[in-house]
Amino acid sequence: MRRNLVCSILTALFLAALLAVSATSLSAQGQPEPPGVNPAGGGVPMRSLERLKSKASGAAPRTADGKPDLSGIWGPEPNFMGDISNALKSGEKLPLQPWAVKVSRERLSKDDPEASCLPAGIPRQTPFPFKIIQTPKLIVFLIEGNMHTYRQIFVDGSSHPKDLDPTWFGDSRGTWQGDTLVVDTVGFNDKFWFDGIGHPHTEKLHIIERYRRPDAAHLAYEVTIDDPGAYTRPFTMYGNSPLLQNTEIMEYFCSENNQDVAHVLGKGRPAKE
Amino acid sequence: MRKSRLAVLVGGLGLLVAVLPAVAHHAFVAQYDASKSTTLNGVVTKVEWTNPHARFYVDVKDKGGNVTNWNLELASPNALRRLGWTRDILKVGDQVSVFVAPAKDGAKMANARTVTLADGRKMVAGIAAEQGGVQ
Repeated sequence: MRRNLVCSILTALFLAALLAVSATSLSAQGQPEPPGVNPAGGGVPMRSLERLKSKASGAAPRTADGKPDLSGIWGPEPNFMGDISNALKSGEKLPLQPWAVKVSRERLSKDDPEASCLPAGIPRQTPFPFKIIQTPKLIVFLIEGNMHTYRQIFVDGSSHPKDLDPTWFGDSRGTWQGDTLVVDTVGFNDKFWFDGIGHPHTEKLHIIERYRRPDAAHLAYEVTIDDPGAYTRPFTMYGNSPLLQNTEIMEYFCSENNQDVAHVLGKGRPAKE
Repeated sequence: MRKSRLAVLVGGLGLLVAVLPAVAHHAFVAQYDASKSTTLNGVVTKVEWTNPHARFYVDVKDKGGNVTNWNLELASPNALRRLGWTRDILKVGDQVSVFVAPAKDGAKMANARTVTLADGRKMVAGIAAEQGGVQ
């Protein structure tokens, strides 16, 4: 009797699980790009940062020249990893052009440049911290992974050089608008993917990032993506990074022992989506 | 009967995990099959404390006495350090029990989800506790 009861409960649970899977699949059918195809990024590296979140309270510190000091080691934003739709305002969808819908649905995970240890570009993040070093005329992002690399943001009043070669991180120039650092970046290549499921972009990409430090322990940012080559209108992503303590950025040379690509099959998105 | 229902349930939950893909260095769902997760018992033959993944290799003997060397993937050393691992936590010759999600392509490779060390400590290593996973 008791055994039958256990069997019934287990069967019910299993059926519920199957229904949940089916519902997920059905809800996605017929829609060009449902919001949040993938859950937010996470995993072991993200979990490893949980206990390192700073308990600092109070207002953000300021530099000698009176600007908010963005310096620190910051944790990544999970919504900027698997599917950037997760970083849009609730209910909003990515305004993909038809060719971009097709490309992102067909891309195979093995072709994700990140799987081959190439840079994530902007706005994509990886589940590793980054460190901001702020000086009056230059702000540097030291990026732990997926590719151990850096970004330079010039805040010296200069403009983008002409005839930029397309690159993974483009050319970034910053200005302070009150307590917000506004970063304008152009000169991107079209090689990197915006996220793990392959949302594309073109060399027409123009990104404006707005960084604030609303309190001591958080970095808040809005990233506006304007790419008339792949999207029908500009859209804005919203992110937040926790200040980390008791850690440093660590080496992560991804190409040291990368055995994965040859064994990666299929897409980075659900098979039935 | 109960065992078979339980197996189906575990399979069903595995399916749930499988439709929640991972991100970062590579997509978990594109490489490993969490629905076929199993436990490997064997002896450590090599440890690579490297990026993008620390790896260890384990000789697993089947009932017929045949030995297969498995290549088992952990998270990256930076993440493992932050979770309390050290590079000498696994040593050649250690007897370990590893709960793994095997490679989809049939290679003798797997993602190590939890590792029970020779001294009995159980270390979280892979996607054990969450939905989806980043490696």
